[in-house]
Amino acid sequence: MRMRSSRSRRAGAMTAVVSAVAMLGAACGSSSSASTRGVTSSTITIGATVPLTGPAAPGYSEIAPAVNAVFKWVNAHGGVYGRKIHYIYLDDAYNPSTTVTKVRQLVLQDKILAEVGGLGTPPQTAVQGYLNTQKVPQLFVESGCTCWSDAKYPYSFGWQPNYTVEGKILGQYIKQHFAGEKVGYLFQADDFGEGFVKGLDQEIPASQVVSRQSYDAATLAGPLSNQIAALKSAGAQVVAMATIPAATALALLPAASIGYFPQYVVSSVGADPPTVGPLLSSFSKGKAGSVLLNGMISNAYLPPEADTGNPWIQVTQKLLKQYDVGAPLDGNTEFGVALGYTFVQALQTAGKHLTTSSLMDAIEKHGADFITPGLVPLTYSTTDHYGYSGSEVVKTENGATAPVSPVYVTSNTGPITLYTGTPSQPPSNLASTA
Amino acid sequence: MSHFVNLSLNGISSGMIYASVALGLVLVWRATRIINFAQGSMAMFSTYMAVTLLDRNLGYWEAFAVALAVGLALGAVVERTLIRPLQGKPELNPVIVTFGLFILLEGVAGAIFGVRSRGVPAAFSQSGLTIGHHRVSFSHFDLFVLGSVLALMVLMLVLFRATDVGLRMRASAFAPEMSRLVGVRVGRVLTLGWALASLAGSLAGLLVAPRSAFSPNYMDLILVYAFTAAVVGGLESPVGALVGGLLTGLVLSFVGGYLGSSLEPLGAAVILILVLSARPEGLFSRPAARQV
Repeated sequence: MRMRSSRSRRAGAMTAVVSAVAMLGAACGSSSSASTRGVTSSTITIGATVPLTGPAAPGYSEIAPAVNAVFKWVNAHGGVYGRKIHYIYLDDAYNPSTTVTKVRQLVLQDKILAEVGGLGTPPQTAVQGYLNTQKVPQLFVESGCTCWSDAKYPYSFGWQPNYTVEGKILGQYIKQHFAGEKVGYLFQADDFGEGFVKGLDQEIPASQVVSRQSYDAATLAGPLSNQIAALKSAGAQVVAMATIPAATALALLPAASIGYFPQYVVSSVGADPPTVGPLLSSFSKGKAGSVLLNGMISNAYLPPEADTGNPWIQVTQKLLKQYDVGAPLDGNTEFGVALGYTFVQALQTAGKHLTTSSLMDAIEKHGADFITPGLVPLTYSTTDHYGYSGSEVVKTENGATAPVSPVYVTSNTGPITLYTGTPSQPPSNLASTA
Repeated sequence: MSHFVNLSLNGISSGMIYASVALGLVLVWRATRIINFAQGSMAMFSTYMAVTLLDRNLGYWEAFAVALAVGLALGAVVERTLIRPLQGKPELNPVIVTFGLFILLEGVAGAIFGVRSRGVPAAFSQSGLTIGHHRVSFSHFDLFVLGSVLALMVLMLVLFRATDVGLRMRASAFAPEMSRLVGVRVGRVLTLGWALASLAGSLAGLLVAPRSAFSPNYMDLILVYAFTAAVVGGLESPVGALVGGLLTGLVLSFVGGYLGSSLEPLGAAVILILVLSARPEGLFSRPAARQV
């Protein structure tokens, strides 16, 4: 008994010494690398939450693996300044309360340098405050909310054109090409739909708009028959839509079934033919349903994926084939590759001594010079955290899109102007080794 | 006027689907006094079987029949393996078990079939019929929905009212001990109740699929509205499920069409509150006997 107690006391003392040494070691360790969370001499750890399951997963679940394909390519060629990129993407099912838990896990447990390519307006706004107070950059959020460029949240950066910019460019097209026709809106009742409508309303005269219908993304299950019935009875000849891919399909189906074929003008978010087409197959008894998409107008800020002569599309195809095996080339994977490539350039520009502030500086000061597949340059500066600020108008025929307008650039409130720059080319190292 | 007609037709069509799922909930409730939260995901699972066969070029009706058979079998297996052991246990246990099954089935379906949404072919054309000079929001497929759910209801009614099996089922539901004493094999009857409930769900699953973004969670919201329908109808009566389903379908369609779709779930809540405050037992249940 006594033996045991003295041994256990000795063991206790040992433990204390060991743990003190360990703590010292840990203290030394952290002071010697001095440094930035998520960065070692050989690795860079970043993360994101994305929907891999749930209502927003269709299509969007392909994005993160495509982003990672770029990182795998970089890692296979020695990394960035010798550091390999480790990308941890977790499923939040588009549920903001899950996003909060998972992002905390990424920050506290995985100690990420930055969140890169977190998806969705509601999930990402739920962690915007947290990431900013933790001074963890929230980079290239996959959402066109205008909220990513906000002086209150200096660590947040958008990437794709914001929804108001999209709405303005498509609104202008409607004003120019469908003058005097009755216009109806169908939009998702959140920042996505409302931002898009704000843009449309700047361009389309209010007297031309005959009906405004919305749907709730959280309760999207069956066909949007009621909204379609309302648009038809209001006599809308043009229907402008801010819909996610599933909602686009669930609107086109009931419309076709009542013989209602208005001119659809759909935000790039829900207009990708390879994503929407398969959802429509029930209409044509299992055959490709993309016939319903013929004539649909949308906008694009990346080259059309069907344009296989485009060098960026060729590079993207090669990257996916090698590093994201089995993934289709569609709007989602093209988006992922372009976003991943943007981040790699931010790392390269940040230089050998990578810190949070060198990374942010790289984007704010040099982001506008990054070479990306985008049809317009990124607009990053110390006051602008939006990303792309323009697009072209495209039309869908036989499952593929082709441009029907020049490329425009604009801002939330400024005028819409023609973009006169030339499209970028993939750098030779990417083109040759991808 | 045509807007009103279209909304009514949409409401009837979706109401029949709620009725079919509600019928499944009612059958399970009658047999075992359990609310089956997995009703929707069981239907999803059998529908995925049909869709997989369709992809392999099996004929539509063969796949349809297989899905119904899978539904029937799945109901029986779930009752025998998961529900039977819960007899006599606290009332919370079946809630947890059926809820767990709901999550499990969706997870397994996601793992096997993928989570990506897709289209599913329909049995009949989805083009609206032309009545007079108007093309209305009601297609051959809607007629099929209406016809098949009504046929199922009639079959169930005949089974309950006019056959020996139905008598045994009713007896076991109301007085299991007594039934056992007179020689009814209550266990088998309960298994049959679950199997039939799951069959009704499978039918609904097949009818919903062509008009949804078909993925493992496509029945979730349908189950919520079917639950409304079942409770409104009194949870005891197949006819109540039908009336509750139609009422829910129509009200939701009008709420969505005239007030905005984001108010639809609220509409379901309002129906529940109104009906339950007027008739706490639901529209079609017998008044509970009270001992004085």
